[in-house]
Amino acid sequence: MILEFDGVTKSYGSVRALDDLSFRVDRDEIVAMLGPNGAGKTTALEIALGLRASDSGSVGLFGGSPRDVAVRRRLGATPQDSGFPDALRVGEIVAFAATHYPRPGSVEETLGAFGLESLRGRPTGTLSGGQSRRLALALAFVGNPELAVLDEPTTGLDVESRRRLWDVVRGAAAGRSILFTTHYLEEAEALATRILVIDRGRLRFDGGARELRERFGAKRLAYVGVPLEPGALAPAATVVRVDDRTVVTTADSDAYVRALVKSGVSFSDLEIGSPSLEEAFLSMTGGSKS
Amino acid sequence: MNALRLVRVHSGIALLDLMRSPAYVVPTIVFPAMFFALFDLQVARTRATIADYATLAFVAWAVAGVALYQFGVGIAAERGRPWERYLRTLPVSPGIRLASRTASALAFGILAAACVAAVARAFTPIDLTAGQWLQAFVYSLLGGIPFVLIGITIGYWASARAAVPIATACNLLLAYAGGLWMPPQYLPEIVQKVSPFLPTRQFADLLWSVGNAVPVHAAGGLAAYAIAFGILAWIGYRRDEAVRYG
Repeated sequence: MILEFDGVTKSYGSVRALDDLSFRVDRDEIVAMLGPNGAGKTTALEIALGLRASDSGSVGLFGGSPRDVAVRRRLGATPQDSGFPDALRVGEIVAFAATHYPRPGSVEETLGAFGLESLRGRPTGTLSGGQSRRLALALAFVGNPELAVLDEPTTGLDVESRRRLWDVVRGAAAGRSILFTTHYLEEAEALATRILVIDRGRLRFDGGARELRERFGAKRLAYVGVPLEPGALAPAATVVRVDDRTVVTTADSDAYVRALVKSGVSFSDLEIGSPSLEEAFLSMTGGSKS
Repeated sequence: MNALRLVRVHSGIALLDLMRSPAYVVPTIVFPAMFFALFDLQVARTRATIADYATLAFVAWAVAGVALYQFGVGIAAERGRPWERYLRTLPVSPGIRLASRTASALAFGILAAACVAAVARAFTPIDLTAGQWLQAFVYSLLGGIPFVLIGITIGYWASARAAVPIATACNLLLAYAGGLWMPPQYLPEIVQKVSPFLPTRQFADLLWSVGNAVPVHAAGGLAAYAIAFGILAWIGYRRDEAVRYG
């Protein structure tokens, strides 16, 4: 067992950031923690890294506590917001991180793996957004950890840069587990072997990308008009209002259309299609848009 | 030793980062020597005993000031940064980080003190022997420790904004009342009474004793300050951790 959260609860004053959160990360898994901003992802990560203590519940990292220095020798993490001391150079920072670990990867190879060899002498203050992200990832992996924890590894990058980074992460994943947070569904689908969906501190889903799509996105209906009364719904469905349109995600779109016609509710401009994962995700988290 | 290696690596990277900002480093290191040249050189040139006395007092101020001011303010500014958060995820204990900060602060303070010594050697009839210089060096390292810990305590207890005036006030008041700028017997009577209890005065007494027996009150006082502020710095670190990451 690599990482295990069991009934973890955490509040900040009256705000409940994590509510009875349980999940685990096993050997060689790449687990995405997906959720809108404010869902509790960062809090969960900070507890996993030993930066925060939970109010209740237990957290096991390699069977020990993440606050224990010896346990953290098996853990690598990315810095948040790519905030490096800006006078230090790329190679110096990677070498610095490596010295903390019992069996680090070579600095040379790590720089190569993350596309940083030509930047090794550059002060970190002069790096572009994408270069900073690659350095952040290099720091998480240079110690050759059994678990790498990545905090929103590609947030703020353009699509192409994100794809390139995914390749880099996949290349570094062999023989270890990875836990990463993201609010891009596409990213979770591209990288993860398993996806956790978190919303308002609770675990909403734990499974593979295909299951996520099947469970939450068989069909998508949209029309201009009001939603059906709950009693009139034939199939189980998740309903979201987007401006004057009603967007319905359901496993049985035909039954919903029949119910809609039968109800006599006036509607127009009906569309039926397969939902994007993004929509499935929105419907799952109660339509809260980030 | 793994712990020693980590102390070296952590203090090394902090110093490397600092040294890359010469606009910060040069004034910090040169400032005590400049003060010495401006205010004490005139008197120190007259006689060897005065030169010894004034130089060692400014050596104390150089080490104490850098430790107190630069590192106190530095920690207060760093606390909230993402890099500090990252360092906390690394497998390194708070004790090692505290030791690293102490080592880099002392290295910096010793450089400032060396500038004072260089000015004194060049322009005064200072007559310390090699053995006495060596002793002064060792005393500077040991006697500087409580000041680093006071600086770290300020850094963890005060906000980034408040740390600057607090550290400045501590530095200047302690230097004055400790008799580092003028011999203690010239201080106002009330200040003379307080002076022996201040860490700056104890530090100066320690340095002035080179070539003689170690003054027990000074060594004991500095050790007591080191223990007291070591505890306060530790509580401050834990308190900051609880507030920021609790």
